[in-house]
Amino acid sequence: MTQPRAVICPSCGGSIEIRAAGYTVTLGCRYCGSVLDVAHEDVRLIKAYRRAVKNFAIAPGARGTLFDVEWEVIGALRRRSAESGDWQEFLLFNPYSGYRWLVLAGAEWQFGTMLLDRPENGPRSVSWRGGDYLRGDSETATTVTVLGEFYWKIARGDEARATAYTRGAEVLSCESTADETNWTQLIPLDDSAVSAAFAVERKFVGAPQRRARRNDTDDLPMMFLFALIALLAVGLVQELVSRPRVCTESTSEIIVGAPSFTTRIGTLEVRRAYQFVTISAVSSNINNRWIDLDYSLVNRQTQQSIDAYGLIEYYTGTDSDGPWTEGSTGAETLIASVPRGTYDIYLDGGAHGWPNDPSVTVKQVKPDEWTVQTSADAENPWAPPEKVTVWFTACTGGFSWGMFWLIGFLLFAVPGAMLWWRHREDD
Amino acid sequence: MESLTCPSCGAALPVRDPGLPYSTCAYCQTLVRRAEGTVEAVGTVAVLPADVSPIQISTTVNRDGIAATVVGRVRWGWSDGSWNEWFLRAADGRVFWLGEAMGMYMLTCEYPAVLDVPGIRNFAEGNPMARDCTVKAGGKWFTATDIKDAACLGSEGDLPFPTLPGWTMTNVDFRNAAGDALSVQRDAQGTTAWLGAWSDLAGLAPGNLRQIEGWTMPRALA
Repeated sequence: MTQPRAVICPSCGGSIEIRAAGYTVTLGCRYCGSVLDVAHEDVRLIKAYRRAVKNFAIAPGARGTLFDVEWEVIGALRRRSAESGDWQEFLLFNPYSGYRWLVLAGAEWQFGTMLLDRPENGPRSVSWRGGDYLRGDSETATTVTVLGEFYWKIARGDEARATAYTRGAEVLSCESTADETNWTQLIPLDDSAVSAAFAVERKFVGAPQRRARRNDTDDLPMMFLFALIALLAVGLVQELVSRPRVCTESTSEIIVGAPSFTTRIGTLEVRRAYQFVTISAVSSNINNRWIDLDYSLVNRQTQQSIDAYGLIEYYTGTDSDGPWTEGSTGAETLIASVPRGTYDIYLDGGAHGWPNDPSVTVKQVKPDEWTVQTSADAENPWAPPEKVTVWFTACTGGFSWGMFWLIGFLLFAVPGAMLWWRHREDD
Repeated sequence: MESLTCPSCGAALPVRDPGLPYSTCAYCQTLVRRAEGTVEAVGTVAVLPADVSPIQISTTVNRDGIAATVVGRVRWGWSDGSWNEWFLRAADGRVFWLGEAMGMYMLTCEYPAVLDVPGIRNFAEGNPMARDCTVKAGGKWFTATDIKDAACLGSEGDLPFPTLPGWTMTNVDFRNAAGDALSVQRDAQGTTAWLGAWSDLAGLAPGNLRQIEGWTMPRALA
C-alpha cells in the first residue's frame, strides 16, 4: 500500500498519479484540466475540459523544504475576486505533517496553516491564542482553475466568502461556504525562501504582478485605445513626412507584341533627405493584355539609378461559371526612401497579349523611326499594329498602406492576444 | 497470549488484543470472530484502498495521559471522500479511536455520559441529528459540525465490530473553538460517544510510524 496509486482520466485517458492517496477527493487532470472525483474506486468525471491548464508559478509535483519540512505541491488553484483580482494557491502535502497552503497574490507569498482551534468572535476583531486580529475586507473568492489533488470536493466556479483579520503582517483568513467555515493562519513568506524551495516560474519571481487591481479593474480597453491613437499618429506622420508633393505626367502608346522600348516619363525633384516616389500607370483600352513597366529613377548628379517594377494586367473570359475578369487596368508602384536629388524617370515597357503575343514585324526605316507590322489578323495582314495607351503620373510623396497595416497589426496584436487569452481563460 | 491461525488460509493470526472479537487476516482478508479460544470465519473484508497514512498497526501515541498502541483500522467511505479510524489499546486495556482526515488527527476515548443528553439520546434512538446541535461534554460545549453516513471500505487488525462490506454507521462530529472533539457513532450494535481533541501528528508524540516510500520521516517523529 505504499506505492502511489494512479488513475486514468475518463476525459482524456491520461494516467495521473495520486500523490496523497487516501486523502485526495478531487483531482484536476494535468493533461486536459478536467475535474475528477476520485473519492471512489471508479473515477468519476465531475466536469470535462479539453484544454491544458495554464501555467502556475509552481508546477504540481514540485517538492521543496519550507520551515524544515519537505513539502510536495499536490494541487494548485487560481482564484479571483472583484476586489483583489487573481491570485494563486498551492496545496502542500507531507504525509507526516499534513497539509499547508502557499498563496501567491501579486508578488507576495504567504504560508497558510489551517486552524484546529477557532478564533473567538468579537464585533470588530477576533481573538486567537491571546492575540487580537482586526477585521478587514470581505470578498467573494471564485475558483477559476483547478489543477492537481485536493482533499475536499472542489470545482471551477466554486465560491466562498472570505474575510481577513489582521495582526501586523499575520492574517487569519475565514472562508465560509454554505457547508462549512474554515480558518487559516497566513504568515508572509520571503520571495527568496519560496524560490529556494521550489522551482518558481521565472515570470512570477519578484514580478510586481497585477497587485490588487482595485482602481484599474481592467486596462484592456485603454490598451486598445492607445493602439488606435498610435496607429492614427503613424498614419498622420507618414502623410506629413511624405510631403511636399510634386508630380510629372506623360502618356505613352505601347505596341502589343513589340520588343520593349524605353521612354522618359518626366523629371522629379526630391526635396527632403528621403521621400517616397509613387508612379501610377493607368490604361483604358486593354483586354487580355499585360504590360510590363520597368521604371528607373536616374539621379542627374550621380547617374545612380533606382529601379522599380509595375505590372498592368487585365483579362476577361467566359467559363462554366459565366463571364469573369481578372486584374485591373491600373498599377501603382511605390518607391521607398528615394534620397534628395533631381531624377529623370525612365520607363522600359512592353505590352503582351494573352494567351499569345500577336506576331509583329518591326523595321527600322530611319535612325529614329520604326515601322511595325502585325500579323495577328490573318484576314488583314496589313492592318495597323495594336497599340495600348498608358497614362503615367509620377509624384513625390505617397502613403504606404502595407506599412500602415503592418504597424496596425503589431499595435493591436498585444491587446488582441490578451483579450483572446482572457476569454479563453473565462470559459 | 495463545497463538491462533486463520481458519481460511492457515496463516498465523496475531492477537493484539484478546478482548476484541474481530480480527482481519492480513493474508486472505478473512474476517475472523474469536470467542473462548475458538476462531470462526465470518466473511471476507474488502482490500483496503491504497493510502499514504503515516499510521500503521503497532504505531504508538502518547498524548494527554493516553499511551496506546494501534491494533486495528477501519476505513470509512462517504459520498464525498473517506477517512481512517485507527483503533488503539493501552496497556491497561483502555481503548481509543484515532480518526484521521485531512492530514489531521482526532484522538478520543469513550465518554458514555453524553449519551444521556436528550439530543444525543434522540439520535441514538434512530432519529436524525440536527446540525448545529450543541451539547456539553466533559465540562465543554460542543456544536455538531459534520454529520455523515459512512460505509466500511475495508479493515485490518483487531476491531470491536465486524467490518464486512455493507457495514454502515452514522457519524456526528462535534467541535468547539478550543480544538476539542466529540464523536458520536451509531451502527447496528448501538451508539457510542467518544471525547478527545484534534491534533497534528507531532502532537501525538507518535512512535513506530510507517515508512512511506519516497518520503523522509521527520527526525522529530522517527
